Amino acid sequence: MVQPAPRPESAGAKVIPIKETSLYEAQRKIYARSVSGTFANWRWAMVWITQAIFYGLCWLPWNGRQAVLFDLVERKFYIFGLVFWPQDVFYLAVLLIISALALFLFTAVAGRLFCGYACPQTVYTEIFMWVEKLFEGDRAARMKLDAAPLTGNKLARKGAKHAVWIVIGLWTGFTFVGYFTPIKTLAGSVLSWQLGPWETFWICFYGFATWGNAGFMREQVCKYMCPYARFQGVMFDPDTLIVTYDAERGEPRGARAKKADHKAAGKGDCVDCGICVQVCPTGIDIRNGLQYECIGCSACIDACDQVMDKMAYPRGLIRYSTEHALAERWGRGQILAHILRPRTLVYGAILSAIVAAAAAGLALRQPLKVDVIRDRTTLAREVEGGLVENVYRLQIMNLAEAPRRFALAVTGLPGVRIASEQIVEVAPAATQAVAVRVRVEPDAGKRGSNPIHFEVRAINHDEVFVREKASFLLP
Amino acid sequence: MQKLIWILWPSFVMAGIAEAVFFTLVDPQELYLFGEPVHMTPLATYSIGFFAFWALCAASSAFSCFLQRSAGAPRV
Repeated sequence: MVQPAPRPESAGAKVIPIKETSLYEAQRKIYARSVSGTFANWRWAMVWITQAIFYGLCWLPWNGRQAVLFDLVERKFYIFGLVFWPQDVFYLAVLLIISALALFLFTAVAGRLFCGYACPQTVYTEIFMWVEKLFEGDRAARMKLDAAPLTGNKLARKGAKHAVWIVIGLWTGFTFVGYFTPIKTLAGSVLSWQLGPWETFWICFYGFATWGNAGFMREQVCKYMCPYARFQGVMFDPDTLIVTYDAERGEPRGARAKKADHKAAGKGDCVDCGICVQVCPTGIDIRNGLQYECIGCSACIDACDQVMDKMAYPRGLIRYSTEHALAERWGRGQILAHILRPRTLVYGAILSAIVAAAAAGLALRQPLKVDVIRDRTTLAREVEGGLVENVYRLQIMNLAEAPRRFALAVTGLPGVRIASEQIVEVAPAATQAVAVRVRVEPDAGKRGSNPIHFEVRAINHDEVFVREKASFLLP
Repeated sequence: MQKLIWILWPSFVMAGIAEAVFFTLVDPQELYLFGEPVHMTPLATYSIGFFAFWALCAASSAFSCFLQRSAGAPRV
């Protein structure tokens, strides 16, 4: 990736120097200034959407149970009308592949969209910073408060901030655990002080992590802990939309009077107010070019646009643009036209194919699974009438959320039949193990192993049918 | 502190993956500990399993960190 070379600071600049520091070593605390504007609105919209889903979905009922529940105790994952069993781990793998591909596609099109708008780290930091601003004021007030000696007022403000942070953290932890233990039961246990030790632990653990990540570590998580931040660069190309400073238009930067003709004075459009740096949650200066710390939140775009409005300059000195567009001075239409390019088309095609295949697989999924296990204690035995009998254990898994009766049959050898119960009733979303005795004439097949098939069909639901292979031993 | 994060953070992520893979394949109710069936609640088994994975992965990370110090380099 081509980066404009860092420019020496202009005289009188109030730019805060960028200092590369290691995690938890001497670290310049970042006091991000709050910002408003189009992209801030988008970020807040995403906070509301993601959190409405996270905090709300666990309370949604479905079929008389929680709509989305990863029931660890029963080892069943419920997602609306679908019930996933450990045998369905394939779908989990597919989901991970789809997520990864979607991330690749979004990154190729418009950089770190996920980081800037939807990553929990960004979202909770946004919420926590809003609380912080509520009690401690904006950037300047916070810096002043932190520098001031400890007074009753300071203690009250900090205490109130942490109290709210902790409440949000605990509620987040409670919600998280509520996806694994039915949340209404969990809420009942909390209210009656009868929460189990592990549930208590995980609520506190997740709450503590939220408090620490969103309250303290913030941008350091993105800079030092997130693997995506390190490798996202390989998914970028010169046509990827990124938050960019238009150096050609902005430079040479410098302060000026509002009414001065800066072009006559040989200055660019950047007034060097430093607000783009002040609003940056990772504390970088976007004017130094694309940096791996940039999470693509666009706070600097909003901030700069406001300054441009005040100066009566056109907006977009910092804007979403691409490397090619800057170099070739492309307009919006050309940038958009370049979204469709081999890389995005390939990502898009693979993604669509996998999504379609997964959807088809889910739609055609039989709400019935059968495992056949041979009884190992008796291989083959002779029973009355000179018949040979093999015993099997059938695990019949009814994936439907209604009780079902299944008819068992066996095929594969002349005259083969089931000598035990042939109708099995299975409770909703449950497993029923049945011992099945299969008999055949001794001369019906060759000596040794003969292939047979168990056929399990739901009574009154003929389409629910599974055929499982097994082997019949003849002495 | 940085070393501690290097050891604990990647191992936390890996422990999460190991936990998911292991308990997808193995039902905690079917586990045996020292020849005895595990009598703990599933939630306890999952939790203890997670911390066991975390500890093991952390040991691996710590080992890597230790080996990164070249033999001749001054001790940090």
